[in-house]
Formats: sequence, C-alpha cells, structure tokens
Amino acid sequence: MSDAILRNERLLDLLVKQATDGVTSAEQLELDRLLARHDGADPQFIERIAAALSLAGDLPDEALPAGLRARIEAQALKELPAAPSNVTALRPRSTERPHSGGGRLGWLAAAACLVLAVTAWWPRLRDMVEPPARVTQMPPRELSAAEQRLALLQNGATVSHADWSNTDDPGSQGVKGDVVWDNNTQRGFIRFTGLAANDPKQSQYQLWIFDARRDDRYPIDGGVFDIPPNAAEVVLPINARLAVNEPAAFAVTIEKPGGVVVSAREHVVALAKIAPG
Amino acid sequence: MEESVLKRIARGEQRAVSECIDQFGNLIWALARRLSRTRADAEDAVQEIFIDLWRSAGRFDPAQGSEKVFITTIARRRLIDRLRRTAQEPARESTEALDAAGFAEPGTRGEVCVEAEQAARAVARLKPEQQKVLELGILHGLSHSEIAAKTGMALGTVKTNMRRGLIEVRELMETLGAQAAGGSRS
Repeated sequence: MSDAILRNERLLDLLVKQATDGVTSAEQLELDRLLARHDGADPQFIERIAAALSLAGDLPDEALPAGLRARIEAQALKELPAAPSNVTALRPRSTERPHSGGGRLGWLAAAACLVLAVTAWWPRLRDMVEPPARVTQMPPRELSAAEQRLALLQNGATVSHADWSNTDDPGSQGVKGDVVWDNNTQRGFIRFTGLAANDPKQSQYQLWIFDARRDDRYPIDGGVFDIPPNAAEVVLPINARLAVNEPAAFAVTIEKPGGVVVSAREHVVALAKIAPG
Repeated sequence: MEESVLKRIARGEQRAVSECIDQFGNLIWALARRLSRTRADAEDAVQEIFIDLWRSAGRFDPAQGSEKVFITTIARRRLIDRLRRTAQEPARESTEALDAAGFAEPGTRGEVCVEAEQAARAVARLKPEQQKVLELGILHGLSHSEIAAKTGMALGTVKTNMRRGLIEVRELMETLGAQAAGGSRS
C-alpha cells in the first residue's frame, strides 16, 4: 500500500519529484534505498496520478505522422521476438535518471586518436553465395550473433563496416574488432577481441552511435553490454534506441551498471568511424 | 472480455503492434508534442517511448489502472528525462495550442478514460495556487524552479503545492471512484 509511503516525508518528496521534475542519479539511489525499506509499497502511485492529470488536460489534436509510425513499426519488429538464447544481446540502458552531461573534450581527445581512412565497404559476397540447401526435416536452428553478422555482411547491399580504433584510455589497449551496420534495415553487430571482462555490478560497457544528422552531444544510445571472463571473441547485435539516419561513428564507453542517458565520456575504449557513403 | 493489447504485445504477438499504435499513437504523439522542445525532439521521444512500451508491456496490471494511464506513465517518464537532459538548450517552440493547455472542464474527459475524468473533477476542487502549479508542472512540463520563476512563488511553496495537490487529487479520485462504484451497485 502507499499509506506507508505517505508517512515518509522524504520518500514522498522524491516520488513527487520523480513524477513531476525528474530525479538525479543520487536521488534515484536514495529513492531505491528508501523504497527497499517499504517492501510491498506501490512506488508508482504518484506517477499514475500525474498521468491521470496529464490525460485530464487539453492535448494537441494532431495525428501521429505516417513516417514516424513506419519507423516505430520497423523498430517493433526488432524488439518483439524474444532474443535468441545463444545471442548475448545489448540490453537497453536502465531507466536511470539523467545526470550531468560530459563535455565534448573527451570525445574530441579520443577522436583525435582515431585512425582514419581504414573504413571500407565490405566486399559484396552475395554473388558468391551458393543457394541454400533444402532441409525440411529439422527445425531451423537460431543463428548465433556471429552467424547473423556474417549473413548481414553477405546479403546487405547497404552495409557499412569499420574497424575499432584504440584511444588513450587504458581500457582500450589491445582492443580489436569491428562494427557492421546496415542502415536500411537498421541492424548491425559489434565484434571485439581484447576488450577486458567487466564486473556487471561495478561497471558496464555502453555503445553510442553518432548520427551525422543529429547533435553530436547526444549520440544515440546503443545499449549496455558485458564482456565475460576469458571470452576470445564477442559478437553482439546492436540495439539502437532511435532510428539512425546517417551513421558517422560508433563508440564504446565504460559506465556505471545500467548505463547512462548522457555519458561523461571519461572512458572511451573503442571508436569506429564510418566512411561517408 | 477482450484481452489487453499490451498483454498480447508482451506475448510477442506482432499484429498487436499495429493495434497498439492505432489506439495509442495519437495520444503518445500529443503528449510528446506538449512536453518536447521541438517537433524533431518529439519524434525522437515517441520512438523511445514505444521501445519502452514494447519492453514493459508485460508489466501492465489492469488492477492498477487503465492502459492509457499505464502508457502515459511510461511516456511521461521518458519525456521528463529528455526535457531535463536538454534543460540548457533554447526554450521550447511556442505554439498557441500548446501554451494555452489547461485542465479540461469536469464532465468532458469521460471518453478518454475513467481516471482522466476523475482527475479533471478532482483538480477542479483544489486551491487555485495548487491548480496552477499542477498545470505548469504536469501539463507544460516546467521544472519546479521554472514554476517558481514563472509564478513568483518560493521554490519551497511550489514543492509544497505540488505535493499537496497530488495527494489531494489522489484522495478525491479515490472518493469519486468509491462513489461511482456505489452508484453502479445501487
């Protein structure tokens, strides 16, 4: 019940702030701690009141734009099927509240280290692929992320491919791999060797996608991921939170567990620049 | 009884996606237009909100409220996040329709959902200063500091009015809900 919450002034203040003003990371942690002491309490009752009040207000009378609807439906097709069990997908960032955004210096410094002109269109192998054998008795096996990546490379007519470049960050040393991205289907994969295993309770890797048609202070969140111990090679599908118009670069940062809304860009461990199409 | 479109989405039923967008797309777009700085921001926000929705559809519990309130809760959380993240950027695009937004007259929101009508009735019973704070904060997305600057109220007064206003709306909505249930039984 929410009555216990109503008696805790601080908890109530934080819930009201969350529902109407947003909370900082520190406030979110405090909120989580306070809620943990109220097991069984309904932490969303204030947000639901705010939602009901929103619906009690005048709303602009505009229909959802058709182009936007198409993008939402395309994104839903990627989201709805459960991720294959043998693919370690990038997970969406947690619903952490925003905290202070970092400046551009970190990115610029890292970008300065970027080895340019290594990107190239991946050879189109479509014509070399033999027709698939017809096997009708066995149920289709889920492709691994590595296999899906190869299939994308072989079949995607608009696939971009770029190698990771190292930065000055200690976590970047020895990192190799690449990014494959098909802008038409909005699908892609990141591949790594040499990226250090992380403890998900301490930190996680987060992927960012820079879109040439968006403000580069706010790259698209590509989700968080982990590197397990002793992994030789890790391939992960990219999980872009927004439609990518014109991919310019991909970057990986180290963030707190769950990821962040805006990265302080203190630990950039991999950068890949996409050559203009 | 027809199954919730959100439950069908949670099961991965792709046909439910179109139905969900048909039912709630305009609502989410309207909320995003009202709480975004620009039209382009609203388009990005709506995409993020739908991703949140696909991923959290399984959490919908009809015992806690309608689908519209559940979806609006998800949308508001994302929109507030985005508004505060871009707090240092230029002021929002101004349009007459958005600037003039206020709470609807009681008796006019019944077609939206039960909670919206109850909330409209409840907010009409609040003190004017509480109504103003809720209107600026919830309908226009102003931060508590922005409300203080706009109204001349002290920040603490804004917070107090916001908190008391929300709690009173909750109590009034419960009373109205109980009355409606009693009326429907008699």
